[in-house]
This record gives sequence, structure tokens and C-alpha cells, in this order.
Amino acid sequence: MLSIPRRTETCREFKEAGGLVAAVLPIHYPRGLLRAFHILPVEVWGPPKVDVSYGGAHLQPYICSIVHNALSFLKTGGLDETDIILVPHACDSLQGLGSILIDFVKPRQPVFPIYLPRGQRPEDVDFLAREFHALYDDLARITGWRPTDEEMLDAIRREEAADRVLAELYHHRRRLALNNRDFYRLVRSREFLPAETFIALAQEALARATAEPRRDGIPVLLSGIVPEPMDVLDAIQEADGVVVADDLACCGRRLYPEGRSEDPFRRMAERIVYGPPDVTRGTPIRERAEHLIELARKTGARGIIFYDVKFCEPELFDLPNLRNHLKEAGLPSVTIEVDIGDPLPHQTITRITAFLEVIE
Amino acid sequence: MSLAASLRYYWNVQLVGRAYLRWQRWQAERHPRVPRKWRTDILAPPLRIGARTKELIAMHYLEGRYVNGHRPVAWVTSGGPVEILQALGFYVLYPENHGALCGTRRVVVDLSTEAENAGYSRDICSYARTDIGAMLSGKTPVGKLPKPDLLLACTNICQTVLFWYRVLAHHFDVPLVLIDTPFVYTDAPEHAVEYVKRQLEDSIPVAERVAGRRLNYRKLKEVVKLSKDASELWLEIMGRGKHHPAPISVFDQFIHMAPIVEMRGKKVTVDFYAAMLKEVDERIAKGIGAVKNERKRLLWDNLPIWYRLRYLSEYLGEHGVAVVASTYTNAWGELAPLIDPERPIESMARTYIYPILNRGTGYKLETMKQMIEDFQLDGVILHSDRSCKPYSIGQVDQRNLLIREYGIPALLLEADHDDPRAFAEEQVASRLAAFVEMLYDGAE
Repeated sequence: MLSIPRRTETCREFKEAGGLVAAVLPIHYPRGLLRAFHILPVEVWGPPKVDVSYGGAHLQPYICSIVHNALSFLKTGGLDETDIILVPHACDSLQGLGSILIDFVKPRQPVFPIYLPRGQRPEDVDFLAREFHALYDDLARITGWRPTDEEMLDAIRREEAADRVLAELYHHRRRLALNNRDFYRLVRSREFLPAETFIALAQEALARATAEPRRDGIPVLLSGIVPEPMDVLDAIQEADGVVVADDLACCGRRLYPEGRSEDPFRRMAERIVYGPPDVTRGTPIRERAEHLIELARKTGARGIIFYDVKFCEPELFDLPNLRNHLKEAGLPSVTIEVDIGDPLPHQTITRITAFLEVIE
Repeated sequence: MSLAASLRYYWNVQLVGRAYLRWQRWQAERHPRVPRKWRTDILAPPLRIGARTKELIAMHYLEGRYVNGHRPVAWVTSGGPVEILQALGFYVLYPENHGALCGTRRVVVDLSTEAENAGYSRDICSYARTDIGAMLSGKTPVGKLPKPDLLLACTNICQTVLFWYRVLAHHFDVPLVLIDTPFVYTDAPEHAVEYVKRQLEDSIPVAERVAGRRLNYRKLKEVVKLSKDASELWLEIMGRGKHHPAPISVFDQFIHMAPIVEMRGKKVTVDFYAAMLKEVDERIAKGIGAVKNERKRLLWDNLPIWYRLRYLSEYLGEHGVAVVASTYTNAWGELAPLIDPERPIESMARTYIYPILNRGTGYKLETMKQMIEDFQLDGVILHSDRSCKPYSIGQVDQRNLLIREYGIPALLLEADHDDPRAFAEEQVASRLAAFVEMLYDGAE
């Protein structure tokens, strides 16, 4: 059993060592840039189990629970220990959240939005690099510190090393002595651990890997935004399923490739723009379908669970076509919609169980 | 392009169709008739220009019916930079306008059900559901929609259009041009404008390839000039709402905005709005108000509720309430000053990044405050539109600030711009009644 440091302890230790902490909303952002400023990014995917009435004072009920919960978390003091709030642009709802934070909610911490381009063209890389440059200037203004290119590249390479280890975890998924929940606890600790701490933990898990891959459980692929509530992973486990791969926004869609450029801003931009297929970055549907089919083929997944947050338009638009492609490729799928603030409904557990029985 | 298709097009559209629609318009102009159910006791008669609006829209969709094979066809988002396509001779269709038309014709539930049966969630935009339903079933109240040869999605109205147009690109297997316009939280940084400009430039060879001809920059300048002229006229028309009583209401604007959305860059659109302005000025000269007994004046925020325009107009009219300005219709005019026909691409980049929908919630509140002042308004109805998240997020705070800090009565009205299943008639009626009562009490 791995001992993963807690989020609050990690933040406290980092701040005691003279650093700052940034609360970062989903999905893509330049980790290396923040770390070059001695800022620890701590991601906010909701979280579940907060009093959503605080978010409801600003947002309509048809806005997704990730945004509702994040705002409620902020308003109930959940982000009090953070020094900066970073809002990457992923969808209309997160865009709206960033905007009302700046204009109306006005938290104590400065709020920095960044716009992520929706294409994979050279101009998208150029724009994103300049967007990161603008963020650099903002951070320099509030920290009084201007990291050199070399310091930036050091931080970026450290993040790339952490992402390589993350990819290794996925690669050796079936050899790791970790159940569904523990695997995702480890993978998702990348959301708040410094890269160096994460690398050490991940290597510890890899060192305990078995020589031969385990053959137990029905292999499935999980697609969606975030596996919250994490009870879903137990539900899959209890139905004898094992998540062998994922296309989750918080996990598999962030297995970024290595950067190529020696310019730190371009390097960070390239990594995100040329990352794995992702609807929020505008990947064509066919490409997404091919990616899922290939992922299933490589990992032996027998079916795909689309686990989506209610009102998540980006995901909902793709589902019919994705499922048709998967069906043609002989891959059954099931869709489940959740509100991350709610406990996992029994109906969902029954659907997962039924789906796994079918694909067994 | 084929000769047979062109012959079919000329016969059906330019000869028979055009003549028939013109004749129909002349008839309507010569013998103007007020629709039987029109509440002449509370509202001014419909604008005479309505006959021309009808002709323009009918002609547009008639062209669409026969255009495949004759001219290249592009489907474009409503805030999309259409001028390049117009200059290249594309027939341009706006699926959102088609969605709105389906809303007014009350066929959204039928079409949306087609999309829902194919797996599309009811939680996605109702315009998108309606058009996807039309695409999958071939059903449409306009007879037939042309197949696109090119798709152009501009994210300046929402990110939804990107997700939606990816579905269209997947279905039709045609190129999708993306003009990504970074959201303007406060001011657009220069690198964002440069990014949009570069995308516009890059879109030209793609569109040229599909159109099979080179872009003529002189023609582009002409089109941009026509776009600017029409937008300025539209802005002037809306500005006439400052008169007491207001000669037109936003419900008139909603009906007559179709040309500025889907026919920008055409001379016919400029002529249309020049004629409309003339008629509106005639109304001012005669002291005609859109609402006969105008006592209170309101601002409308967000998209219209297409399937309840008459209901809302009559309900409010009955109480002497005229809705005279709208942040939504204003969006197609407010940027006219930014358009520079001599620097078409550069000015388009700046213009298309700044629509109200691509700007922060604080800017929208400032716009509302400015409009309240300019139009001397007594209150605001904020349509909380289930299908339009970017427009709706922020409305709760905007409403609260309008009431608390500026003392302006404001109502948040829950509905959906196209899907009547999200419209709770009784609830809306009681909320409107309470709001109207509050307006007259002069209290919150």
C-alpha cells in the first residue's frame, strides 16, 4: 500500500519551504511555468462533498457540478490556503466561472485566466506560447521574480520526467499491485504533488510491479472527465472489472508528449496542443474514436464506460458518433451521467454490473 | 458545379421563385392586412417591412433548396466572419437561424426528438439538437436544406459551436474551418487579435479551394463595406428605441434581425435596413409606439424565447410595458464602428473577437447599465437560457447588482431559446405578473 501525502499537508510543507500555492481549475495548464516561480499547482476538480448552495448563489442549476462545486469550495474557504487561482479555458462553463470570479466574486487571491486554443495548427502553438508569456508576466508581477529560460526549462523537464513516469504507470497498469481506486489515487496525486515527490511515489509502485501481468478481472476503458465520486472505481472492481486504460480529462488526456522546442514557452505550448485527443481542444470525432479503439486494442479492454458529468456539453456532443464507431469496431459501451456532488446512485452500480456481465 | 443544377437553380429560384415571392410581397404591401389574432388594442400594427422580411427569408431558403451543384455552400455560425465566403460566391446558411425559424414554427420538439433518438442529450443546446435532428431526418419547415461543402465555426459566440460543427463535419465529411476567438475577460491582448487575423488569412486558401476560385480583394472590400453599412443601419434602427414611445420593440427586432445575421455583406440587406429605418422614422414622426400605451420600458438580456414571442409581447403590452432594447440584437450592430473596409482582414479580426458573447460578465453588466441609461429604461428581463450557458452564466450576479447597487428592477426568467419543454407557462406567467406589479410599485 503506497503512502500518498495528503493535499493539505503537501500545500503546507510547500509553503513552509517558501513557495506559493495555486488553485488550478481543469484541464490543461503549464505546470512547469508555475513551478519555475516556486508555485505549486493544486488542481480543483470539483471537488465532491461540498455545500453546493454557495455556488448556487451565483450559478444556474444547469451548470455542471464541477463548476458549481469549485465555486462552492472557494466560497466555503476550501481555497483559503492558496495564493493564486488559475482558470484555464476548457468550456463555456469554466469560462463563465473565470469571468464571474474576476468580475463579481472577487476572491482574495488574484485570478488568472488562460485561453487554450481549439486547434492543432502552428498558429495555435504560437498563440498558446504567447498566452503563457502573458501569464509569466503576471506571475512575475506578483512574485517579484523572473525565472530565466534555463530555470524554466529545468522546471519543464522535471514535469516531463513526471509525465514519463505517469505514462509508465499506465503502460504497466496490469503488473501493478494496485486496485482500481489505489491506481487512480496514485495517478491523481499528480494533481497536487510536486513532480519530484510524484516521481518517487510512482517509481515505488513500479518497483513493486509483478513480472507477469495479472489476468484477473474484466478489462474496461473509462472515458469522461473525472472519476468522481471515486466510488465508481470500487463499483467496477466489485463487479469484477479492472480499468486498464482511460480517456479521462484529468488523467489519460494529459499524457502529454515530450516538448521539442528549446524555447520554454513554445515547449509547454507544443506539449498541450499536440497532446492526446481531447474534445475540449477540438480533436475531430473520428480521431477520438480511433484513439479509443487503439487504446482498447493495446490494453485488451473489452468495453468502454463513458462516465460523464451531467451538463458537460463537450462530452455529450461526441457520444453518439463515438459509440457508433466503437460498435462498428466490436466494442460495446455504456454511458453513465453523474453529478459529482452526489453519492454514487445504486442505479449506476447496477448498470455497471450489468454492462460488465454482458462484456464478460 | 453542374450545368443541370445551374439551369434548375435559375428556373426555380431566379425566374419562378423570385417572381412569385415578389408578387406576394407586392400584394402584401398593397393590401396590408393585420393578422386576425393581432392585438391591435395594445400593439401597433406589424411593420410594413415585414412583407419584405418574409420575401428575403423565403428567397434565401428557396435558393438553398436549389443551390447545391450551382454554387458552393458554407454553413456558418451566426457570429462567423462571413465576408470572405460572400466574396468568394458561397451560398451561406446559418444553422442557428434555421433553428430559430424552427422555434417560431414550433417544430423544435419534433426535430429535437430525432436527435435525441440518435443519442444526443437534451442537455445540449436546443439549436444544435434541432439542426442535428433536421440533418439526420431531412425534415425542415423550409423544404430542404442544402448540403454544405464547407463548414465555418467561429467560437466568438460560444464553444458549443465547435462541438456542434465537429458533429456536422463528421456527418458531411467536409472541411471544417475553425476561427478560434480567445475569450475577452477584460481586454483582448494584441496576440489574441493577431491569432484571429492569422486564422482568417489561413481560411482563405481553404475556402478558395472549395469555391474553385481565387479571392478578389477588391470584392472583399466591397462586401466588408456592405457589412458595415448594414450593421450601422441596424444600429441606427435599434437606437430609435430611445424615442418615447419606442417605435419598435425588441420583439420586432427579433423578427427583423434575420437579414443582419444571415445576409451580411449583401446590397439587398443594406437596402432592406434603409427601408426599415425609413418606416421606423415615419412611426416616430406620427408618434406611433410599438406598445400603444407605453408606460414602462424594459431591457431584454439573452436570446429570445422564439416560441413565445407573441405571448410575451402581448402579456407585457397589455400592462403598458414595452421591451425596447436588447443586449442580444445590439450585438449585431455595436461593432459596426470597428469594421474598416480598407483593412478588411485586420478589422475583421478585431471586430469578430469583440461580440458581447465573447466578453466578460462585467462588461455585459456595464453594457446593460449603459443601455438602461441611454434608453431610459425601468427594468430588465434576463432570460436565463438553459441552452446558452455563456450568455447565462453571470446573470445571477448581474441581476443582483442591478437591483442592489443600481436600484433597477430585474427579473431572471428561466426558459430555453428553442425548446418549449423547458418553458413552464404558469411559472413564467406568475413571475412576469409579480415583476410587472413591482415595476408599477416602484419597489423591488
